[in-house]
Amino acid sequence: MTQDEVFSKVVSILTKYSKADVAESDIKMETSILDDLKVNSARLVDIVLDFEDMFDIEVEDEDADKVRTVADCVELIMSKQ
Amino acid sequence: MNLNLRTKLALKIQHMIGWITFPAWGGVLIALMRFVARYRIPQLREIRRQYKEIKKSTTQPIVICSNHLTKIDSIIINWSFASVWSYMRSFKYFSWNLPERANFYRNIVLRVLCYLGSCIPVDRGGDREAVKKSLDKLAWLLKKGHTITIFPEGTRSRTGRINPEGVAYGVGRLVRAVENCKVVCVYLRSHSQDTYSGIPKRGSEFYLTMEAVEPKTEHSGLRATRDIAFQIIEKLKEMEQEYFDRLGQGSMENSYA
Repeated sequence: MTQDEVFSKVVSILTKYSKADVAESDIKMETSILDDLKVNSARLVDIVLDFEDMFDIEVEDEDADKVRTVADCVELIMSKQ
Repeated sequence: MNLNLRTKLALKIQHMIGWITFPAWGGVLIALMRFVARYRIPQLREIRRQYKEIKKSTTQPIVICSNHLTKIDSIIINWSFASVWSYMRSFKYFSWNLPERANFYRNIVLRVLCYLGSCIPVDRGGDREAVKKSLDKLAWLLKKGHTITIFPEGTRSRTGRINPEGVAYGVGRLVRAVENCKVVCVYLRSHSQDTYSGIPKRGSEFYLTMEAVEPKTEHSGLRATRDIAFQIIEKLKEMEQEYFDRLGQGSMENSYA
């Protein structure tokens, strides 16, 4: 899967959990999940578990802790594929 | 779990200072609750007996998981579970907890009280690495035989009922990090508590039930963390249902346990 494809799927998952009024098209690689998308950090686990299901990967707690931006998500997924 | 020597030493010093000063602030706190706020726990002896039994039955560390409706739930739980004298003998049973920094670290008086009262501040909903540092401290304390109180809902329930939507998975992570730790689920509620508040109303009577569980999961990784957190929340929901069933039947005075 290419980086663009991963990015697009990551964005679709993140928008489910976002409490900010942000359009999918406004989400960039540098978008902060907590600050810009207003996702509660407790929900980050759900997000990462959605990544596991969608991309058929397994992520450890420590890896999930490092996720802050959309780029972090994409890199994490690419590194596990 | 990587705690540096400095952090471990800081926690040991905090524990020791809390213990040495406990007769002063612990006594004052309980006197304030009993005689100024006029709080009552009708089944206090029975609750303490039950908790003592649980402690006796295990050599494993104990994580107390409670529902969360007021800012002083952890203080009420500590008061319910043992006397000042018991805590003097073994201050490790006075449970550590994770108050939200924004609520409890606003002024110097609260900061000092939180420090003495075995609190580790946390920024809820904040950076996961910062939350992880707080959880690492708790895991280390558990492994050293200390007791922890944690609120799996993450925050005081806005609906007045257990809120599975907001569940924070930190509790699952903590239980996974400390092998064979015993989880004591606690349902605490004043009869006059309709929804969440800062402190309970003056003259409140508290209902408290507890149940020891050892959550197990077939999952691994983050899924295991979430599964354990859900098991604990489900248990708390059951206990809440029992509370409202008893309240509906008017059997509250006869049996709390």
